[in-house]
Amino acid sequence: MSTEFHNLQELRHSVSVATKVFIQRDYSQGTTCRFQTKFPSELDSRIERTLLEDTVKTLNSYYAEAEKMGGQSYMEGCLACATAYLIFLCMETRYEKMLKKISGYIQEQNEKIYAPRGLLLTDPIERGMRVIEVSVFEDRGSSGSSHSSSVSSGGISQR
Amino acid sequence: MPGSSKSGGAGGLPSPPHTASPSRPLRPSRYVPVSAATAFLVGSTTLFFCFTCPWLSEQFSVVVPIYNGVTFLFVLANFCMATFMDPGIFPRADEDEDKEDDFRAPLYKTVEIRGIQVRMKWCSTCRFYRPPRCSHCSVCDNCVEDFDHHCPWVNNCIGRRNYRHFFLFLLSLTVHIMGVFGFGLLYVLYHTQQLDTVHSAVTMAVMCVAGLFFIPVAGLTGFHMVLVARGRTTNEQVTGKFRGGVNPFTNGCWKNVSHVLCSSQAPRSLSLFVLSLSVSLSPSLPPSLSLSLSLYLTQSKSSLEMMESQSCDAEPPPPPKPELRYPGLSRGHQEQHTEESSLLSKAPPTPTMYKYRPTYSSPGKNHTALTHAYANQMSRGDSLKESSSLLQSSQQPGFRSEPSLDGREAPGERGGGGLGGGGDRPGGGGSVGGAPGSGGGGIPGYSLGGRSYPSFSDPTVLSSGGGASRSSSVRSGSAHNAAHISEATTSTSYKSLANQTPPPRNGSLSYDSLLTPSESPDFESAAPDMSPGRHRTPAPPPVLGYSSPYLSAQLSQQRDAELHQPSASSVALLSSPHRAHYLRVTSSSSPPPPPERERLLQESHSHSHHSQPPPSSAAPQPPHPHHHHSSHSSRPPRFSRPPLLSDSAAPHHYPYRTRSTDTPLAPSTHPPRSPHPPPLGKSLSYSSAAAAEMQYRMVRKASASAGGGGGGGGGIQAPKDEIQMKLLSRTNGQPRSSLSSSGSTPSSPSHPISMSTRPGQAYPSPGNTQSPAHKLGGGVKKVTGVGGTTYEISV
Repeated sequence: MSTEFHNLQELRHSVSVATKVFIQRDYSQGTTCRFQTKFPSELDSRIERTLLEDTVKTLNSYYAEAEKMGGQSYMEGCLACATAYLIFLCMETRYEKMLKKISGYIQEQNEKIYAPRGLLLTDPIERGMRVIEVSVFEDRGSSGSSHSSSVSSGGISQR
Repeated sequence: MPGSSKSGGAGGLPSPPHTASPSRPLRPSRYVPVSAATAFLVGSTTLFFCFTCPWLSEQFSVVVPIYNGVTFLFVLANFCMATFMDPGIFPRADEDEDKEDDFRAPLYKTVEIRGIQVRMKWCSTCRFYRPPRCSHCSVCDNCVEDFDHHCPWVNNCIGRRNYRHFFLFLLSLTVHIMGVFGFGLLYVLYHTQQLDTVHSAVTMAVMCVAGLFFIPVAGLTGFHMVLVARGRTTNEQVTGKFRGGVNPFTNGCWKNVSHVLCSSQAPRSLSLFVLSLSVSLSPSLPPSLSLSLSLYLTQSKSSLEMMESQSCDAEPPPPPKPELRYPGLSRGHQEQHTEESSLLSKAPPTPTMYKYRPTYSSPGKNHTALTHAYANQMSRGDSLKESSSLLQSSQQPGFRSEPSLDGREAPGERGGGGLGGGGDRPGGGGSVGGAPGSGGGGIPGYSLGGRSYPSFSDPTVLSSGGGASRSSSVRSGSAHNAAHISEATTSTSYKSLANQTPPPRNGSLSYDSLLTPSESPDFESAAPDMSPGRHRTPAPPPVLGYSSPYLSAQLSQQRDAELHQPSASSVALLSSPHRAHYLRVTSSSSPPPPPERERLLQESHSHSHHSQPPPSSAAPQPPHPHHHHSSHSSRPPRFSRPPLLSDSAAPHHYPYRTRSTDTPLAPSTHPPRSPHPPPLGKSLSYSSAAAAEMQYRMVRKASASAGGGGGGGGGIQAPKDEIQMKLLSRTNGQPRSSLSSSGSTPSSPSHPISMSTRPGQAYPSPGNTQSPAHKLGGGVKKVTGVGGTTYEISV
């Protein structure tokens, strides 16, 4: 019984991360946050080139907007100085607002485009803005992995 | 400040390095400077408000205390933000991110920024290639974005997120001190007949404190004003990265200033927040969760793992071959650090390495600091070089408080300009340097980890260590995996060498990691040959213009061309005061740097080849004092000796590492020799080591391959690759030129033979040498090197 249950659990675990592809930062224009739009070859079979490139380009534009030094960021700075930075307790900075927007965008992209293809984008902020991590998932299927195949087959037969 | 710094310095080494403890030990000495700064600031201002301001407000106006109050509030707010704000820490990389074979991944990756080649170094602690301008702070044990420096007065790193606050703190503190002093003076002038009252006495005391602190603070403020205007970080300034070159990160003065002051607050990396969560590290996903949810959990778990490991000093990287581990550690302060000793014990001792031990005598004065730094570095698995540099730096008592980055600079620079970065910034530098390097008093912001550190980790040492590390990494048997060279990585050093077990660092130099964090292991294991005779080379190879990461390809190519032309100009380039680090070299650029390097290489070679035939060995002797002076003062053709490149040929592949480590000893063992330019001396020695390293690498390449590509044969390939390496090496480049010159040795083609025929010679890890050769014998990988040159590296 317990073995069966264990096998069933393993069977349910049919999806696992096969590999992770990392889209690195593009430093050709300095240290502003940009990611390479070069399409990683590992994803050739999983997703269309243009989709990923569009996603990365949109993310780049969001980051550029977040880091833009304009009137809003200047006013934020002045206000923060005037209030001895206590304003940060109440208010979100421009960058943080953009990050929320980016996070929502990534989630939406994951739901619509990447999850159906077995991929998952990780928000770069979780990696220190160094990489965009694309997790590639593979369906193991009911047969289970090689190490558990015998067990799973036993489990299946018992069921 | 001086008092505070001294206290910080005195308390510098509170406890022996806790190499074994998984978490960072509590070191109370870290908090001494910040406590002192806070006490002085708050205490003095409170006294001012209590004793001086009441009369001032009555006599003149109530605006006076209000103005002072506002200023003080501003100072406090920025001080708190600078102290408590995350400077821009990169979380540790996920395990999956570094799935490449450590043995085969290069230590450096090159990236082009606005046409300038920048080298990104692999951080063995954080497990990723450090983005440009990022550096690993050994005190905080984190990679920090846009690393400026580690400020002991706020006990925090200054990086991208809090640089603005730090800068505003300095500005406002200067204004505040001026105000307090001025109003105190006004009070005293009006009370000259009543100076014996308590109020007057307190006012005068506050004025004294304010006056004392004004000089270093104003100096530091001026220094940072210049930095902001130039768009540089302190780290880059003191290492002289952009000296004479082009800064790829600047956008013009106005934009630089507005970026510092007006840009939006950079975000904090999200995974750092996950630290508080306690999630099991079980990799298996609960079957009841949906796929997406389980996926997110996995990600967060991995983040948590990263975070937990961050505090626990990150999981040790997969150990490469044991002999690769810190081969040079044996030289160092083994007795000091058990962890390092354990690491060392794994390395097969080589006769050459042991050779260094007797000679390795670090002066007692800086010994503890050195060992401490060394322990930290070693435990980090990063900078063996640092230890060697520390050894060298031990020669210079005066630079105790300077960040290790200073070590890169020529000693003359330090002496002249203090931390201000040499003569370039008379205002800031003078004031900053005004506080004598001793005791770190003069340079408050740059004391290392709260401890006066002989931070003059010699840039040459570091650079040579870098070079050595590169070659050694090749040696260590990581076949240069072409596949991993995504961005034209030219360095053949491997992460495996860098990824040594990183025990917790304790308060080592904040700048150390910047210099040569991961290079020391390689560096250490370099040629042991060098040791005994090396002391004789006091004239340190001048810093080869720390151009490494930022040299354009053309420069590297030119250097290559120049290698064969000994000239004095290379010396100039190498000398620390004149570092053309980020040179945008045109193909037609002149020979002065390469020939200088050539010279230095020759010198270094001569240094390293003490065991060489008498002419070569004898040659170094006489010029040593001369070199010292020459490297220090000007750049005349120092090396009258004939090129010794052939001497320093290949057999010393591993020896190069030890050699480089040994050379730092030389200055230490000959204190009289290095009165003024000790760093130069070290740099020379290191450059020779680096040259040796380069030669070694060249030899390896030559032996390895098949590859005919770049210059017609392995021998020629190697030099070019070496040059690339040099340029790319993070260390402030002295070794670079030496490396290149060594690479160009005509005898290089024979190196493989010599290598094979000298099995016993300083093969610190026989397996290492063999494996790379074995692996390298395979295919040829074309790597786009510096400046677009394509090199064929046999894989």
